[in-house]
Amino acid sequence: MSQLLNSLTTELRRGTLTLAVLSQLRTPQYGYSLVQLLEVSGIDIDQSTLYPLLRRLEKQELVSSSWDTSESRPRKYYVLSEYGLEVFLQLKKEWIQNSKELFNLLKGEEDDESN
Amino acid sequence: MNLIDIYIQEVTRRLPEKSREDIALELRSTIEDMLPDKYNEQDVKAVLEKLGSPVALASGYLERPMHLIGPRYFDVYVTLLKMILPIAAVVSLISMIAEYFIGYGGEESVINVVLGLLGKGLVTIIEVGIQVFFWLTVVFAVIERTEKGGDPLTVSLKKWTPDDLKNIPSMPKKKMISKCEVFGSLMWTAIWATLYFYANHLVGVYEGNGGRLEFVTPAFNQEVLLQYWPIVVMVIVFEIALSLYKLIKRQWTKRMALGNSVLQLIGTIVFMVILLDSNLLNNDYITYMSELFTITTLQFKSWMVGGAIFIIMIFGAISAFEGFRKARIR
Repeated sequence: MSQLLNSLTTELRRGTLTLAVLSQLRTPQYGYSLVQLLEVSGIDIDQSTLYPLLRRLEKQELVSSSWDTSESRPRKYYVLSEYGLEVFLQLKKEWIQNSKELFNLLKGEEDDESN
Repeated sequence: MNLIDIYIQEVTRRLPEKSREDIALELRSTIEDMLPDKYNEQDVKAVLEKLGSPVALASGYLERPMHLIGPRYFDVYVTLLKMILPIAAVVSLISMIAEYFIGYGGEESVINVVLGLLGKGLVTIIEVGIQVFFWLTVVFAVIERTEKGGDPLTVSLKKWTPDDLKNIPSMPKKKMISKCEVFGSLMWTAIWATLYFYANHLVGVYEGNGGRLEFVTPAFNQEVLLQYWPIVVMVIVFEIALSLYKLIKRQWTKRMALGNSVLQLIGTIVFMVILLDSNLLNNDYITYMSELFTITTLQFKSWMVGGAIFIIMIFGAISAFEGFRKARIR
């Protein structure tokens, strides 16, 4: 039961991950700072998925990257591209719409239960 | 080498050359970000544990599918496999048997021939099966990696549409052409083609001789028989084409019945022309047989030719008629 629940939860979250990452990249972030930002918001992200995800987004030209070597430790920064911002805003709209619909659906369910 | 270096190496060695350096650099900087300023091996282990297995991480970077054939092609793959595997097995079996008889000089006992064929046939089927399976899988694995995803495909390699339903046979059983029937007709083609081209080794009088079959005399003059080879090859090609058409259509249609009738007609005519060639039958054979039945050579000749023509005409007519009858079933 709990194992099934786990895999279902992971599945639920998987789709939202891209959106969560894109939302935090309006300002340039490097890998670990992004993890921390997401963790603060309560989003627990599997790091072995995050770093490859960033590269994929870069390949899809949603984000651009640059190495900052001015500090003691070189860091790769990622930031939303113009195209990425456009896609992000649309994706966000889509998600809010979806979650509203789902919320109503689940709310109806709850009302049924209380009756 | 410390654990971090080994970890990075374990990840990057699975990646393509050109992206290795960049990913290694980023990974190192990330790991160091995650570590406290002063760290010991325990801290390193904790961080690496968070990053997870290097294999999983590398596969995340690779984007290459971690399966051989994905949902897009799996159904097509299985369907084709089911279709090709039996065909390949039957075809190879037939050619194996034909090859065996071509080399057969009649010096082996019947039981040995049967056992030999069984053993060889089994080996051939297994070998061909493995070959087909391997190559089809390789082809699909390559397609999987070159074509980018999408919906599962139908056998015609296009996206599914409701029109595809029309191609699914939902007809009465009597109208259906079973695969066995198709294989049977292919097998028949192979058998008579082999008999035709190697008649001087195969068709004729055999005498039992202590469990061995001895080939006494061939029935036909091979040179005369082979004069007709171009037209015979045409009939063979026609027959194979019809069998394949049956395999694809899987049910009798008017057009198929018509094609079948034309084939039967041509086949019968060709057969008759060859049989009526006065030089066809081997003289030794005629003498042997007429002595056997105690009739004159002329009588035997006319009996044999007439009988053969009668039989082939009957079978041709039945086949043509059956085709039309099945095509008319609704």
